[in-house]
Amino acid sequence: MIVGDQKPISEIKQIVAPYKKILLLGCGTCVKTCFAGGDDEVAVLASALRLSCKIEGKEIEIEEQTVERQCEDEFIQESAGAVGRNEVILSLACGAGVQAMARRFASMPVLPGVNTTFMGVLEKPGLFTEECSGCGDCKLAVFGGICPFTRCAKKLVNGPCGGSRNGRCEINSETDCAWHLIIERLKALGQLDNLRIYLPPKNWAASLSSGPRKLIREDHVL
Amino acid sequence: MKTESAGKLQQVLTSVGFAVTAECGPPRGSDPEIIRKKGELLKGCVDAVNVTDNQTAIVRMSSIAACAHLVAMGIEPVMQMVTRDRNRIALQSDIMGAHSLGINNILCLSGDHQTFGSQPDALNVFDIDSMNLVRTVLTMREQGQDMSGFELKGAPKMFIGAAANPFADPFEYRVIRLAKKIEAGADFIQTQCVYNMERFKAWMKMARGEGLTEKVHILAGVTPMKSVGMAKYMANRVAGMDVPESLIKRMGSVPKEKAPEEGITICLETIAELRDIPGVHGIHLMAIEWEEVIAQIVSEAGLLPRP
Amino acid sequence: MNQTSKSKVTIFHCINVFGEGDVLPVDAAESVELNFIKMPCSSMVKDVFLLRAFEAGADVVAVLVCAEGACRYVEGNLRAKKRVQWVKALLDEIGLDGRRLALFNVTAGDMQTAVTSIRDASSLAATLGPNPASVGSQPEVMKG
Repeated sequence: MIVGDQKPISEIKQIVAPYKKILLLGCGTCVKTCFAGGDDEVAVLASALRLSCKIEGKEIEIEEQTVERQCEDEFIQESAGAVGRNEVILSLACGAGVQAMARRFASMPVLPGVNTTFMGVLEKPGLFTEECSGCGDCKLAVFGGICPFTRCAKKLVNGPCGGSRNGRCEINSETDCAWHLIIERLKALGQLDNLRIYLPPKNWAASLSSGPRKLIREDHVL
Repeated sequence: MKTESAGKLQQVLTSVGFAVTAECGPPRGSDPEIIRKKGELLKGCVDAVNVTDNQTAIVRMSSIAACAHLVAMGIEPVMQMVTRDRNRIALQSDIMGAHSLGINNILCLSGDHQTFGSQPDALNVFDIDSMNLVRTVLTMREQGQDMSGFELKGAPKMFIGAAANPFADPFEYRVIRLAKKIEAGADFIQTQCVYNMERFKAWMKMARGEGLTEKVHILAGVTPMKSVGMAKYMANRVAGMDVPESLIKRMGSVPKEKAPEEGITICLETIAELRDIPGVHGIHLMAIEWEEVIAQIVSEAGLLPRP
Repeated sequence: MNQTSKSKVTIFHCINVFGEGDVLPVDAAESVELNFIKMPCSSMVKDVFLLRAFEAGADVVAVLVCAEGACRYVEGNLRAKKRVQWVKALLDEIGLDGRRLALFNVTAGDMQTAVTSIRDASSLAATLGPNPASVGSQPEVMKG
C-alpha cells in the first residue's frame, strides 16, 4: 500500500487559513489503512479543526466526506456535489489522489493534508515499513526477496558497506542493514554463492529518473 | 593482466613489498595553503597521500583539486572517490580529469551517508556502488573504454584501490566481499584502522586461505589515539570500528597530558605486529587533524627513509 | 465569572464498571453537570467521540477503565489508554489543554472507585475552568 502521515495540525491550519467553507475529503483505501486519511481520520481532523477555530474565534465550516479511492473517476465523481458546495478541498488522499482531484476540479483549490511517504507493508499492528521504491526493473529474485535499492540506504548492489554493525544500518540503529538480511536469507536458501557474482550498475532508465512514467494497456483502451 | 600505472605507490608495493600511506583531509574552504601545509608535513615520510572526498558527508574542497595541489608539490596522491555524490557520468568524467592532472591512484568508496554530514537535506546519488566504480576504472584503464563502450582519447592508467573492513559484520562474509573487490579489479586494499589485532589476524588468515593476498596488496589501517575521549568516541559512535575495552582502559590509565604519547606507543606496537603478518603489504596512517604526528610515527617505526 | 454556570463533565464508561440500575451516590447539588456515555468496552472510545464531547461543550472528559489486567476483553483498557494519550496530545496542539481529558482506573463492582473518579474529574473541571472552545467562554470586554 501507499503509506502517508497526516500533516501536523498547525501546518494544516496554515494551509486552510484563507478559507471558511472546506470540503474535507478522505480516501478509503491506502491512507485509511495507515490511519492518515480514512473516514475516521476525517472525523477526527474535522472536529479538531472546529475546536481549534472556536478557540481562536475563527469561522469555519467543514463538510466531511470519504470516497473509496481518490485515484479513480468512478469514486471521485461521488464527491462532485460536495465539491460544488465548498470553497476548497482539503484532501487526505496520497499525492496521486490530491492531483487527480485537482485535475478533475480544476477551478477549485485542492490542498494536501497528508505527507505521502512510501510504498510499504503493515509489518505488525501500528508498524508500516518501506519496501519498494518503484524502480521499474525488479531484481528481487537475485536478492532473496529483499530489495537493496529500497532498503539499503546506499542502494548498494554488491554487498554491505563497512558501516553495517550488528545487523543494523549505520544511519539508524533501529534500521536493519538490508544486506545483512539478504546474506542471512541467501544462507538459509543455500544461495550464499550468489554473492560472489559481480553485479553491474543498476539500469535506472525504467525508474523515475527518466521522468514521470505511464502505463498504457491498449487492451483496455477503448 | 594488469598494466603498470608507474606511480610510486605501485612501484614500492611491487618492489619492496611494504608501503606507507597516510591520509589528509582537504579544508572546508578554498584556501590551498591548508592542503600545502599538510603536504609539507607528510612529504618524504610516506609513499602516497590519500585525500578524502567530502568525508563524513561534510562539504570540503574537492578531492581532485586537493590532489592536484599535492601533485604540484611533488607528492603522490591517492584520490578518494565516493559514489554518494556523483553519478556515473560525473565519476567517469572526474577519473579522466584526475589522470590528466597527474593523479595516478584512486580509492573507490561508497561514502558515509549524507545524514551524518553538514548537508543532511541533500539528495544523495549512489547511482553505482564502490565495486562498480572499481570495475569502471579497470575498464577505462585496460580497455581504454568508458562505461558506454566509447574509445577514450587517452586511457586513465590508474592504480586501483578499494576499502575493506575486517571489523564490520557479518564476519564470514567479509572475505567473500574482499574476493569480489579483487575480481572487480582492485590492485590494493586499505583497511579500517586496526585496534582489535585478534580479529584482524583472523581476517588475514581467511584472506590468505583464499589466496587473496597473492592477488592484492593489503595495507592495514592505523590511527593513533589522542585521548581516552577519542577512544570512546570511536568505539561507540563510529560505524564499523572495533576498539577493545582493554585499549580504552589503557588510554584512560594515563594522565591526560600523557595520553597522546600513550596513543603513539600503542600505534607503534600495532605497526610492529602488523609488519609480522604475512600478506600485509603496508600501513595506511589516518591521523586526521594530527598530521604532524605521522612523520614521528613512521620514523620511530623504523620505516624511514622511504625508498 | 458567572457563578451560576455549571462545569460540564462527560464520562465514558464501560458496562463492566457500572451498568443499568446502578445508582451513583453523587451529590446532586454539586455545581457539575454529569453526562454519562456507556459502551460495551472502553476500547470502543473512538478518538472522534472524545473530540465531539468537547465540541458539545464538555469542560472535562473522563474515561473510566478497568485496572490493567482486569479488562473483560483483555486489552480493551490498554487500547483506551493509548487512544486517550493520542487525543491528549492533539488537544494540546490545538490549545484545548490535554489535561481536560483524563483516564481513570476503576474496579468493577466497587462503586466507590467510580465515585472517586467522578469527583476527581469534577475538581479537575473546577480547576481548569470552562472549555475555551465553548460559547460564552470568551474573555469579558471592559466597558467604559
